[in-house]
Amino acid sequence: MDTARLTSTPLHRGAEADLSLATIGPWKVVVKHRVRKEYRNPILDERIRHDRTMSEASVIHEAKTAGARVPSIVGVDIENNAIVMTHLAGTVARECLDDMGKSEAQKLLRSIGEQIGLLHTAGIVHGDLTTSNVIVSPSGAPFIVDFGMSRRSVEPEDRGVDLHLLQRSIVASHSQDPSSMMNATFRGYEQTAGKRVASSTLRKAREIARRGRYFAIR
Amino acid sequence: MFCLGIESTAHTFGASLVDANDRILTNVNSAYRPPVGVGIHPRKASEHHATVADDIVRTALSTTDGSAIDPDVIAYAAGPGLGPCLRVGATVGRALSSFLKKPLVPVHHGVAHLDIAMSIAKARDPLAVLVSGGHTSILVHVGKRWRVYGETQDITLGNLLDMFSREARLPSPGGASVGREATKGQNLLKLPYTVKGNDVAYSGLLTAAATLLRRQSNLADLCYSLQETAFSMLSEAVERSLVQTRRSEVLLAGGVAASPRLREMIGSVAEDQGASFHPVPIEYSGDCGAQIACSGRLAFQSGIKVSTSDSFVTPRWRMDEVDVPWIPRD
Repeated sequence: MDTARLTSTPLHRGAEADLSLATIGPWKVVVKHRVRKEYRNPILDERIRHDRTMSEASVIHEAKTAGARVPSIVGVDIENNAIVMTHLAGTVARECLDDMGKSEAQKLLRSIGEQIGLLHTAGIVHGDLTTSNVIVSPSGAPFIVDFGMSRRSVEPEDRGVDLHLLQRSIVASHSQDPSSMMNATFRGYEQTAGKRVASSTLRKAREIARRGRYFAIR
Repeated sequence: MFCLGIESTAHTFGASLVDANDRILTNVNSAYRPPVGVGIHPRKASEHHATVADDIVRTALSTTDGSAIDPDVIAYAAGPGLGPCLRVGATVGRALSSFLKKPLVPVHHGVAHLDIAMSIAKARDPLAVLVSGGHTSILVHVGKRWRVYGETQDITLGNLLDMFSREARLPSPGGASVGREATKGQNLLKLPYTVKGNDVAYSGLLTAAATLLRRQSNLADLCYSLQETAFSMLSEAVERSLVQTRRSEVLLAGGVAASPRLREMIGSVAEDQGASFHPVPIEYSGDCGAQIACSGRLAFQSGIKVSTSDSFVTPRWRMDEVDVPWIPRD
């Protein structure tokens, strides 16, 4: 699939990829093109971009099959390190979370937790779970996007990273009370992941948070 | 208003005087250098500090014409760091504070790295990248505190370079030695690249590099590959954090900030994302008295001080456990 032949308009510049909007037949699609990074050695750069593109495309497809709310893969352009997927209408959670009342925000986080649980049950960890990577549809349903850092794993360690990252993005970017937001997330998570998986993930997430530098042994 | 700062968290004992306008009047430092192939021995480092303390403080308090200045505030590095080393600086600080009857201010060494970099760069509210032997963190200031947005999950960038250079019998400081060798290398060897979200992990990279070293890989290529891989991991985490936190300034501080290659890479990330880049000047990148004086002055003016009887040292002390109400700077 040669994405260079698509007529597209720029949509968003992310940290590692450029997103642009195009139309294929009846579908509005998003082209995610991993761009070359000037700071990186060219061999390392090509290796990272290629590996991430391939893995992202297959993981998104697998997540869809597992019943999670994610975009649908339309095609992969291996030569250009680009993925074509269906466009999702909605707002990024990072933008709308602070404008919500407490109960509405908790409802959203609970629903995000359910989605994470579905991914984890399918053996997929996201690897970069922040409120910037959740798109809230007009009906209020959250879609998880950007699987560039994701991997297949059933390790509590990797699942713990997901919850840890989400918590940190809530603490650092939002005015909502972090502990009630995380409690809501966890309740949703428990529902789809099951009690046993949920408790091991939560234990790891706490451990990971304490792994950072200079935590006092208390 | 003159603030005396005393640094003694690890290998360096330093003293420095700053004034109310952030001018660094004196900055006198002496570093304990372990033999090649050996790390810092905490007790030996503390003995070095105790030996040089008198001279260093005296020099820091004297003006060019030889007269002595009495400081109005005494700041000391209370942590994090090596216990025996911290206690030397704290003892000197307490003694001066009670003798001169001037207030004593405890300073967080990591916060101080950022404060001096911000003062010199006149940065207001940056995404801060702190890279040293003690820290590898990506931080943003929210409310009253620095919040860790990304960090190393195991060893720091400084640890990685120091430990590898000891294995390779390169002289301390390791970052500079590896950097020098790296300029002669050109082949990129495959090493593990571990980024987890906004966090990095360097221990696997160290093990792999040490294994290649034992298998007689070309040292220049190995140093080049180690540096490229380690710095690329951090740069990627910085870029992602920058996009998410939307800061318009990027600050680079700490000992490893002296690396020309790291400055180039983080600078390139900042430029790509439309942010201004403020690397700490190389002479103030490593541990020094000036960082403590600078941070102590800001803390004192925010009302932070401690009585000698309540003064403390904290070998383990996280950046996000300290109130830093003087940011954003105006």
